This record gives sequence, C-alpha cells and structure tokens, in this order.
Amino acid sequence: MRIEDIKVAILRIEGTNCETESYQAFERLGAKPEMVHLKQLTGQDIHDHEKRDLMDYQIIFIPGGFSSGDYVRAGAIWAARMKSKLAGPLTEFIQEGRAVLGVCNGFQVLVEMGFLPGFDSTMSQIPQAVLSTNDSSRFECRPTILKYENKNNCIFTSKLNSGQKYLIPSAHAEGKLLFPADRGEKFYQKLEDNDQVVFKYVDPDGNYAGYPWNPNGSPHNIAGICNPDGNVLGMMPHPERVFNRYTHPDWTRGFDSEVGDGQAIFESVLGYITKKL
Amino acid sequence: MIDLSLEGLYKTIEAPFPLSEILLSQANDDELVKLSQESGTGLSLDEMKALVDYFGKLGRNPTDVELQSIGQAWSEHCCYKSSRPTLKEFVFGIDNPQVIDRGDAGVMEFDEHHAYSLRIESHNHPSAVEPYGGAATGIGGIVRDVLCMGCQPIALIDPLFFGKLDTPMETLPKGTKHPRYLFDGVVSGIRDYGNRIGVPTLSGGVYFDDSYTGNCLVNVGCVGIARKEHLYKNAVGGVGDNLVLVGGATGRDGIHGVTFASAVLTEDSEEDSRGAVQLGDPIMKEPVIHGVLEVARRKLITGMKDLGGGGLSCVCGELAYAAGFGVEVQLDRVPTKEEGLLPWEIWVSESQERMMLAVTDENLDEVLHIFKFNDVPATIVGKVIPEQIARVFFDGVKILEMELEFLTGGPEYCRPRTVKTPEERCTENPPEEMSDYSDALLRLLADQNICSRDWVIRQYDHEVRGSTVLRPLQGVLGHACHGDASVLKPVEESWKGLAITTAVNPWSTAVDPYRGGKGVIDEMCRNIIAVGARPHSFSNCLNYGNPEIPERLGEFHETVRGIGELAEALNIPTPSGNVSFYNESETGSVLPTATMLGVGIIEDIRQAITSDLKGKGNLIYLVGATGSEMGGSAYYRVNGNCSPKVPDVNIDILKASMDAMLSAMAEDFVKSCHDLSDGGLAVAISEMCIGGQIGANIDLGQVGELRPDVKLFSESNTRWLVEVEPSKAPMFESLFGELAIFQIGETSSDKLTIIDNESQLLEAKVTELENAWKNTLWHAMGGGE
Repeated sequence: MRIEDIKVAILRIEGTNCETESYQAFERLGAKPEMVHLKQLTGQDIHDHEKRDLMDYQIIFIPGGFSSGDYVRAGAIWAARMKSKLAGPLTEFIQEGRAVLGVCNGFQVLVEMGFLPGFDSTMSQIPQAVLSTNDSSRFECRPTILKYENKNNCIFTSKLNSGQKYLIPSAHAEGKLLFPADRGEKFYQKLEDNDQVVFKYVDPDGNYAGYPWNPNGSPHNIAGICNPDGNVLGMMPHPERVFNRYTHPDWTRGFDSEVGDGQAIFESVLGYITKKL
Repeated sequence: MIDLSLEGLYKTIEAPFPLSEILLSQANDDELVKLSQESGTGLSLDEMKALVDYFGKLGRNPTDVELQSIGQAWSEHCCYKSSRPTLKEFVFGIDNPQVIDRGDAGVMEFDEHHAYSLRIESHNHPSAVEPYGGAATGIGGIVRDVLCMGCQPIALIDPLFFGKLDTPMETLPKGTKHPRYLFDGVVSGIRDYGNRIGVPTLSGGVYFDDSYTGNCLVNVGCVGIARKEHLYKNAVGGVGDNLVLVGGATGRDGIHGVTFASAVLTEDSEEDSRGAVQLGDPIMKEPVIHGVLEVARRKLITGMKDLGGGGLSCVCGELAYAAGFGVEVQLDRVPTKEEGLLPWEIWVSESQERMMLAVTDENLDEVLHIFKFNDVPATIVGKVIPEQIARVFFDGVKILEMELEFLTGGPEYCRPRTVKTPEERCTENPPEEMSDYSDALLRLLADQNICSRDWVIRQYDHEVRGSTVLRPLQGVLGHACHGDASVLKPVEESWKGLAITTAVNPWSTAVDPYRGGKGVIDEMCRNIIAVGARPHSFSNCLNYGNPEIPERLGEFHETVRGIGELAEALNIPTPSGNVSFYNESETGSVLPTATMLGVGIIEDIRQAITSDLKGKGNLIYLVGATGSEMGGSAYYRVNGNCSPKVPDVNIDILKASMDAMLSAMAEDFVKSCHDLSDGGLAVAISEMCIGGQIGANIDLGQVGELRPDVKLFSESNTRWLVEVEPSKAPMFESLFGELAIFQIGETSSDKLTIIDNESQLLEAKVTELENAWKNTLWHAMGGGE
C-alpha cells in the first residue's frame, strides 16, 4: 500500500503524554496518524462517530507517559484495561503481521499485557517479564546511546545499520527489564537465540557500560526487544524525541545530516507496511 | 475552637445545614479583631470596620459565608493591597503592541498566527509545611493559569530557594524542617507532577542561603502556546452563560490557603495550617488539559478561569464581573470529596485540578460529553445574571449576596517604607589578595550555589513534547554543563523558537535593592542573548518579607523601581507577575528575592548557540567592562567578605551590546557564548571548558587596572564570554564599535590557565574543574555513580 494510506493509531488514556510528538513523527513521513483514546475502541462514553475499529489501522503506537499515573506499576493499569476488552482483536492484529510499537510507557504496557517477549504465544496469559524500578530509584532524563543489535528480524529497524550507535534519549523511572529470577539467564539466551534483542545501551565509545549510560541497570544493557516475529517492538528510549537533528542533546557540536537518529525507526516500519500490506 | 467570649456574636440561621449570622453590628473593636482571627480570614481591624459600614448600610449582618468570601478576596495574596501602588508606578505601564492579554497569565504575540503565554508565581508557605504536596500543587496551579488563557502548557520553570544543605540540625528553629528534607521533597513534588502531566521542565535554579532556612521559596513558572483564534479571556461571554465546574472534587484541603500565604510562618504553622495545603492529582490534571484544550479549539466555551487562591469564592465573581455581569451559584451542586462540608468551606476551598468554564446553553451537551469522554467530572454550578451581584444558594437557602464591586474591590494601602543605603547595610571589607587563585576557583565551583545542578535537572523530564532544542545542560555527552537559557520550537511548521530563562540575585538585591532590580533584568537579557534570542517579555515573582515593616516594603519598592526603569528603557513588557509577602519566620525575613521568568524569541532555532566550547585554537572574547563592584558577589560571600558596591547597569551600553551580540550571532561568528554571573569570569570560562571538554589560555592584562580577584570574580553586568574562530575575529570585532571588548585568550588543550600580564593567577586541568563542580549536590543528597 501507499505510505499516505497507512493509518496509525496513536493510542492514549489519561496520563499518556508523548502522543503529540509521536503523531508528528508519522505525519512528517506522510502517513495518516490519528489519536485514538482507548474508549473509542471499547465503545464507552462516546458518540457513534467517535467509535474506531482496530482493524482499520496498520500500525498501533503506544506512546510514553504515565498512564493512570503509573500507580500500581508502570503500565499495569492500562494493560489491564486493554486486556479485558481488546485482548482478542490485538492478538489478531499482531498475528496478521501488522505492526505494534510501544515506547517507554508503551513498552511497559506491552510487557504487562504479555505481548513481549511473547516467547511461546502471541500473548502470554501472565507477564513473562517486568520493567522494574531503575537502580538509582529515580526518574532519569538523560541522553542514552543505543547499539543496534538485531540481525534483521525486527520490522521497525530495517533501515538501521547493524552494530551502529544511535543517540535516542531516555526519560523513565522504571526501565530495568527483568525476568523471573530462576529463569533470567535462560530467557536472555532465548532473546538472543530468537533475534529478539533490538537495542542495547552503550557509552559514547560503543562499549556496554554501566550507569549513567545504562540509565536503569537493565541486565545485559537491554534497551529494547521485539517479539519472535519481529512485528511488536518495545523500547524504553524515545525515538520520537530525536526525529530531526535539532532536538539531539548535542546538535550544536556539529553534525552531518539534519535527520535525527530516531527517524529511521518510523521509516522502517512504514517501509515494511508499504511492501507487505 | 469557638472563643466562648464571642459566642454571643454568632446567631444560627435556620437552614437544613449549619449557617450563622455574624453580628458585626454588635461587636466592639476588640471583638472584631478576635472574629477575624477566629474565622481565619486575616482581615485587619480597619478592614473589619469597612465590613461593619457596608453591612450597616444594607441594614443586616453578614453570614459566615460572606465574611469568609471577603477574607479571601481581600487577602494580600488575592488583591495585592500592599504592592499595587508600587507596581502601578513602575511596571504596569510598560506597554508594547505585542502584549495581547494580561489575564491569569500574560499573553504575547509569537508570530502572525500564534501567541504564547507566561506566568510565574510563588507557592512558598505550602511548600515550607509540606514540600512534596506544596510544590506539586504549585505546578498544578501555574499550569492552570496558562491553560485558562486557551494555551497548551509547553514549559515549566522552577526557581527554588532553601537554607544551606549543611545546616546543623540543632540550629533549626522549632517547627522548621531541614533544608535537605525540603529540597528533596520539593524536587520530588515537581518531578512527579510535572513529568506526569507531560510538560517539560526547562529552566529554574536552586539557591541556598541561611535566610531561607525558616521560609523556603518555591517559585513556579509556566509558558504556553496557542493559535490566536483559540485564546480566551478570563471573562464570561454574556448573561445566561452557564458556569461549568470541571475537574477534581472539592474537599477540606486548601482551606485558607491565601490567608496562610498572607501571614508570616510560625512554629505552629504545621499544626495550624496543614489543611491549607492542597492535594495534587496529576492524573486528573492531564485529562483536564485535554478536555479544556479541546473545548477551546472547538469554540464551545465563551471564557474560562482556573480555581486557585480563594477557590470558588474568587473565580465565580471575577469571571462574571470581568464581563460586567454577576452570577448566581448553586453551591450544593459542587461535587465534594466527603460528606458534611460546610457551605463556607466549599466556597473557599482551594482543592486542586479545577477549572470554571462559561458555556452557552447551546454548547452545554457537547462540553459535558467531552469531559465525560476524558473521565473528568463536569457540573453546572451557576448562571450569569445581568446585575453585578454574586448570589449563592445552598439547598435553596440564600447564603451570600454581595455587590461584586465591593467584594472584588479590595483595599489598597500606601504603607510606610524606609530605604537604607547600601553603606548602611554593609561596609567595604575586601579579602586579602592571593598569589594563586586555583584553589579559590575550585572552592567556588564546588559551592552549593554554583555547582552542577544535574542532580535536580535529570529528575525532570526536559524533553517531553519533543520540541526541546536547547536543554538546561549543554555540551559534550556525559559532560554537559549549565546553559544560559533553554530553547523550544513550539510550532511544527515554523523554525521560530522561544528562549526561556530564569534570573535572580537575592544577594546583590539585599545590599542594594535598586541596583539589584536592574541587575536581574540585565541578567535575564544576558541569558536570552547568550543563546541567540532577543528578550521579548518577562513575568516576575517578587518574594519579600512582611510589608507592614517599613524596611521590607522599602526593599520591595526599590527593587521594583530598578526592574521597571530598565524594563521600560528596553521596552520589555511584563504581562503577568506575582508578589509574595510575609516570607518571614522566627529567624527573620528571606533575602529580597525578585525572580524573573524571561522569554526571548529566536527567529530560527537552527542558529541557537550553547555555552560549551566547540574547538581548539579559537579565540575567546570578553564582551563588556569589568568593575570593582563586588557587593553581593559569590566570591565575597564564600569568603565572608562584603561590599556595598553592587554592579550597576548602563542602559545605553546594555542596549548596544545586545544588538551587537545578536548581529554577531546572525552572521554566524559565534561558536559558543556564556553570560558572566555568579562567580564571574573564572566560573564562566570553567563552565565553558567543562561543557566542551576543552581548555583555555586566558590573559586578563588588558581588562583594566584592577585587583586580580576582581578580574577573576567580579559580577559586573552586561558581560559575556564569546568563542570566535580566528578567521572571523576582525569581522566580529568590527560589530562592537566603541563598546568594550577584549580578546583575552584562546581555547587550547585540556587545561585552564589564567594569567594577568606576567603573573599566573590560576591553572587547573579541565578534569579538576569538572570534579570540583559536579559532585556537591550528589554528596549532599545521595545517589549517583
């Protein structure tokens, strides 16, 4: 399909707050983003003309923020609400090969819903992982550098170069990807084997490094993972914040291109959809 | 507790809820004073007597609701009764065609189709009692001020003032919380509220001085943006409009907030006034912002105003009276957090997250739908009436009827004031000259008032909304250092940007309030110029002690005189502002603290300049003349010295320098730029070195016949350090004409060396500078690597 026909649902509920810049990222590339409140999918408190159907979209984007205040646990309340009403349609959406991207709070929601890591089925009944409180116990807003580690499984990164560094900033209090303690290493190995690791935190020289370059203490420096099929991506850092070069934290120190490091992620998924759907 | 001696002055009115008539007509002076105290209204005897006269003419006594209503409306916080004459004299008159509105926030022109709004205000006393909630609700309040003009909030600005972090526990006055506890709580409150509502915190500052130990200051600012056709006035549209209350429920939190803010803090404040602190709920606020912006964009309302100080009692009357009308309110319809709230409590409660919208009958259903969709309660609580009267009913019983002219009029005082000369405040007491200043510089860099603020800044999301072009920390990744202003690109289809900064210097203002007032405007301009923007407007928050003490009011008056004189000469308007008096505790008054939120406009954000050095072998210029005027300087403070000579501002030189600097930046001659403020030249060049991870060789020989410590640490106004490529130096210099500029050195390897003609003043590796500078707050507050 043509890029201008690609419809992107930017989902939101109360406390979602990165929807504007996420919307703009898709709009700038010529796609058709639309802000869709969860109620427009579940049918609660809305006029008929406000009702939306998931299957009218090719991409679902779950933006960052503090959905429902992140009370209980980041993303948990939003995930519970979606699971109770939309588990079926979302599973179908993913199984059809359409694209789901969750950034920051969106990553937390995808993990809480069981779509990531999604080892054994599209959606696990109980979460297989958690994005836990940062080692610093604080909210951390800082530049983070990601090394692109995927071997070509993920549909959101086909335009990225393997092994290359991308400056994509982080801003979160709960970003440490943890698995059940007794299966932790096994699960990490599984992620590697399935080519599900997409981004790892590195320092400016490209080495895996601790705090502050790994802002949350995530084991194996994991910043973003996809499902085994590669069409669901969750990542803590915010690609929508570095769409163009002028919002990079160090852009005044010189650069070669006006394109920001986050743009390729949006281009990749749109490229994929134009070819596949 | 009811004072039994006053019992005879309350008469129960028959109603299905508690309601009293206050028998003012039978009270003597002593009883009037006691009635004011007992009701918590804080009205003076003269003000109580004005009520006796007013109700005497009406031939009746007030109800408890009416007395409370006046207590709110006539508080210093709401009606500026002590500050208005001074503000009128010096700053209200600064006019400029770019001012669009002066409402709860000021509104300024951004471009042909867009406007921005700005305001800064204080939330001091609530934060001193309950730092987390006080600071969070401060953010909530300032965001509503910007929102109710129809603007999307896009930036938060938070200057904070505490006692020294190493204050010994045993020296704390009774009932006072430790500065570390307050600092941690306030930052957490701003972080959790600001981050949750998705508005980046882009500027601010943290300042430590013993004078803030008993009364910390929490100033909160916000900037917003809107298309011009979506702007609203804080006024109803016409008779018959419905008043729709949207947002959180009303409770007993935040009762008497404005009267609490209009009295000095005491050891009993915690116990007496805890209830005056509101409770914040950012996850109610975020959808309120959504709902309000949607009804604004779809033109479904005629006007709106936020509920802040005084709650419903202030907003209902002011919203209607601003359009020349009155209002009838059904108070029992207001959703409450608990059963059994008394009518007067509902009327004056300052519970958070509430806005009042004026809506015609025609649009009512759609407005209610939009808020329901966003899970925000919305309730019709009143209607606009033609006569300029407020009438309030509860369960069908009329509990208040007052003329709005009287209610919103408020008294105005020309209180006595005295002005001490700087020489009366302190005597010249310079430090010994030294042969080497390396250690002095490292000590200064590690000082609580100069060291890295990253412990604070990185807890705030300063990038949400994806339009932050310059951040508060600028430079090489991992070594970013303090910038002078942040820059936002607020409009998708335009490269035009807003520069946002904070300026304040309580120490120089304390020595010489008039020059301090001028200095703070100069600093604001320097900061905005340093990133390549032109100063466009400012909002101020003026924090002072008890205005009933003539010396305090004198400090206030002189500062505002200085601010007004310079702002008027530069034609920079102040479309909004806030005065906070009574910042006193048992240990005395805070330093006179005039905080500026400055906004500048940069035509193209792609030309913005940061403070970090960019390359080796570039030239460094000092723009502006250095004087022996060390009063209030960080160097003197740290070393226990003082001077009555506070830096003055030469208006013509400031104007010409600003123009020359902007020309040089427009021509792309400037690689980096930093203003000279706390710690003077030595600290400024150190920060540029840290941010760029590049050293510099500096010779101050040509700067003038001055002591070396003056050359290094003077905080003379209207000065910048500028990095220029050698090939562009002649063209750069030619732009400055007669103005004082000095080529003082060049960028070099990894060391900062400063000499004065032949003699070396200091030398330190950039890593040493960085290590001295970066750890102080982390060590005091914990955490980090």
